[in-house]
Amino acid sequence: MSAAVLDKPAPSPPVRAAAAWRAWLWLAVPLLFVAAFFVYPLVQIGAQSFLDKSGAPVGLENWRYELASSAVQTAIVSTVKIAAISTLGALVLGTFIALALSFVPFRGAGFITRLIETVVSFPSFLIPLAFSILYGRTGVVNSVMESVAPGVPPLNFVNDVPGVVLAEIAFYTPFVVRPLLAVFSQVPRELIDVAGSLGSSPWAIVRTVILPAAVPALAAATGLTFLLTMNEFGIILFTGAKNVMTLPMLIYTRSIVTFDIPSAAVIACLQVALSLCVYCLYRWITKKLSGAHHAAAR
Amino acid sequence: MLSTKKKPRRTHAAPLRPTQGSGVVPDHPPNAVELRNVSVTYGTTTALAGLDLVVACGETVALLGPSGSGKSTALKAIAGFEQPSGGRILLDGEDVTGTSPAQRGIGVVVQSYALFPHMRIDANVAYGLKARKLPKAQIAARVKLMLEMVGMEDHAHKLPRQLSGGQQQRVAIARALAIKPRVLLLDEPLSALDASLRAEMLIELQALRVELPEIAMVYVTHDQSEALTLADRIAVMRNARLEEIGTAAQLYDRPASAFTAKFLGGASLLPAVSTTVVSGAGTLASVMVGAHRMRAVAPFALFPGDRAKVAVRPHAWQVLPGSPEISASTVNSLPGRVESVQWRGAGHRLQVDLIGIAERVTVDVPALSPVPTPGDLVVLSADPAHVVLVPAGDTP
Amino acid sequence: MLLHAKSTRLTVWGFLAVALLLLVGAPLLVTFMAAFAGSWNGVLPSNPTLGHLGGALAADNLSALIVSLQTALFASLLAVFLGTWAALCAASAPASSTVSKVSDAVFHLPAAVPSVVVGLGLLTAFSKPPLLLNGTVSIVILAQTLLVLAFSYSTVSAAARGADPLIPLAAASLGASRLRVLLTIRLPLLLPAIVAATGLALALCMGELGATVMVYPASWRTLPVTIFTLTDRGALFDASANTLVLIAVTVAVLAVIAKVKGRTTLR
Repeated sequence: MSAAVLDKPAPSPPVRAAAAWRAWLWLAVPLLFVAAFFVYPLVQIGAQSFLDKSGAPVGLENWRYELASSAVQTAIVSTVKIAAISTLGALVLGTFIALALSFVPFRGAGFITRLIETVVSFPSFLIPLAFSILYGRTGVVNSVMESVAPGVPPLNFVNDVPGVVLAEIAFYTPFVVRPLLAVFSQVPRELIDVAGSLGSSPWAIVRTVILPAAVPALAAATGLTFLLTMNEFGIILFTGAKNVMTLPMLIYTRSIVTFDIPSAAVIACLQVALSLCVYCLYRWITKKLSGAHHAAAR
Repeated sequence: MLSTKKKPRRTHAAPLRPTQGSGVVPDHPPNAVELRNVSVTYGTTTALAGLDLVVACGETVALLGPSGSGKSTALKAIAGFEQPSGGRILLDGEDVTGTSPAQRGIGVVVQSYALFPHMRIDANVAYGLKARKLPKAQIAARVKLMLEMVGMEDHAHKLPRQLSGGQQQRVAIARALAIKPRVLLLDEPLSALDASLRAEMLIELQALRVELPEIAMVYVTHDQSEALTLADRIAVMRNARLEEIGTAAQLYDRPASAFTAKFLGGASLLPAVSTTVVSGAGTLASVMVGAHRMRAVAPFALFPGDRAKVAVRPHAWQVLPGSPEISASTVNSLPGRVESVQWRGAGHRLQVDLIGIAERVTVDVPALSPVPTPGDLVVLSADPAHVVLVPAGDTP
Repeated sequence: MLLHAKSTRLTVWGFLAVALLLLVGAPLLVTFMAAFAGSWNGVLPSNPTLGHLGGALAADNLSALIVSLQTALFASLLAVFLGTWAALCAASAPASSTVSKVSDAVFHLPAAVPSVVVGLGLLTAFSKPPLLLNGTVSIVILAQTLLVLAFSYSTVSAAARGADPLIPLAAASLGASRLRVLLTIRLPLLLPAIVAATGLALALCMGELGATVMVYPASWRTLPVTIFTLTDRGALFDASANTLVLIAVTVAVLAVIAKVKGRTTLR
């Protein structure tokens, strides 16, 4: 930007205003697409939440009913709870994996890194499917257990909160590993060497030198993973857990299974509000931290 | 060593070891650093091949060489940043091969300073002391002392990015010395600074050397003036090997190889053939350089017909106006044509193409002397005491 | 570099191996083995069969795969086109300008909303006039486009902002028009990022379930929907075989794209 300013004489205000107008005009095409197919549908959901099934306006009736229902309240709590535990798990595991790959290198670490980058683009239901085969009620582990130790109660966590949480941790850990690997590769090797020569133990070096450098990336990864786990649908749908009812699952059930669109619309509004709050918080924190970080780098 | 202290800082310096003082040195104190046949390899490339090096307590040894010569690798091996693939490393007579940097207690200052960017200056200096779990009051006192020693006490609460390069360098030194190391390793500590700051920091490092008489220092550099200023002995490195080690005067006046002569002092090298028998040991030999006779110091034995090279440093030449006919008979005089003239502030540097020998030599003309212009015919002459023979086999 | 003692290094590697095996290795391996399993009642599957895989490639499921590929291709190309367009607009303006900020906020937004809600929104908005899309193929493509638009935008705009601003200026100073600079300088330099964004978008669309399951018409059933139906019925081995086919096709597409990307990266 500064180069452009230096190279040309400063444009006079009308010229600059014209340039701004042109920028807006160009941006209008993709903006219109988002407005028509994303914003307008969201507004329609909002409108639908004030109508009954036949399309007649009912005011706040839907909202009053849904907010009071224990199903919705439980869904909000379990959505946040599952997201929080999964995020924490993915964060701990992902940090460990990224640290080990970056700072305890071995032959083949590059291959593992590429594998992790590939896995990120795989469908999320791969994991609950494998979980069902392995640990499901009639899965491999249970049938082996039955032949080895008959009478022991079968494993039955896959269709419950622990199964969902484990599957989400497994799926979202690579989302934490990737940005951390990028940040860790930026930590100068000398910093670690010098910290070591000053007498720090490896754990102390991780704590005092490496992790502080990764704070913005960690915060970003936390925010993103929390947002994605809160919005997660495929994993929960595939585990077929009847008693794990999160907001996205509830929206799906109400709209597709029981065709109660007004109810689904209210819950969708709640979900969007929650997601947007988390998203805004995430953007705010990453902007703040990365701003401070850039200043530190200068 | 020259005393160029700017401030009387010695009063602040704590006695780092109880044996400080004089006269009580035991007959054979263990060497601060000893490398025995140390090699470092990465895959198939050899970064350091069989290095033997001894640094005595209180001694400064400079590892001097071009990039890729293995000097930084040697330093990393001493610090424990790289594990040698062969050989032993001893500190104070104790084998530390295979131990971690944290177990060695060596102070290290690297080229990029490697200050912890998120910690204030005092926290940076305190880092090694905290790792040693010293009492808070003791840490605070030591940090204060160290920052005063390097003149940074006013910047204790700043972040590294708020300091200039030279200031960061001082903090890095204070941080390394805070842990009272037996050995201080400096890896190209001045190369990230601009020229004037480098000269200033060099003076400060000299002063520091005087203040810390019993710390052994290993100073890695590619800059000969830094090595000449700071080092008791200079180890010239080349192609992952030790080319030559000796005092600055030894290497400068009597380089044992053409590489040393060229790298340390930028000598011009001319092919020569001996015409006399000399026993070596610094007697003067007669040699033919092309069709010209030269007399030169011979550090090794020579027989008539032996090939060698004469090394003459740029400032050892004298430039006289002349023509090709005059000089042929005169000893140590070579005719040439000035190819280029560079003004370098303190004098002029000439590139002179010798006539009759396909060689170009570098000549420094001191300030206030008459300066020829490109194309001029000149006669170059040199005092035999400043013309040294080096083995011919080695062409840098 | 961090750990100097061999024993601690080995411990860390041990934990790493276990973690990676459980996270990445086990799901892939189990899916792979189940795809060929006739039955699986012991530690290892028994009665190996190609039946499930054959089924996955037979008429019905094969058409689901083709539907998935077509949807993913259209959706990701549309998303990358729009994302690149917006990214170029945003990168042309100074980072602090309103254009740039608005574009960042708007084009990242669809990724913040759950896929189910995106699907519900399309369903609610386009089941009635002025635009009737419910029951058509385009509603599936639109849903997937919206979901990958943010990824395409952020990939390309990161590259566009990181590009040397002096290069287009140099081209302009040589007399090239804006359009010429765009076509001959800016887009070619962004090509690696555009190709990478296309690969990511394709892979994500291939596996998309949340929005698709809300909006798909019976005539346009994608492979993930088929896999879900199989899983729901308890046909786990058939589901595994279909998942294996899905992943194999995705990896193949990604490999082709990686090759193309390698060719577009000049520097």
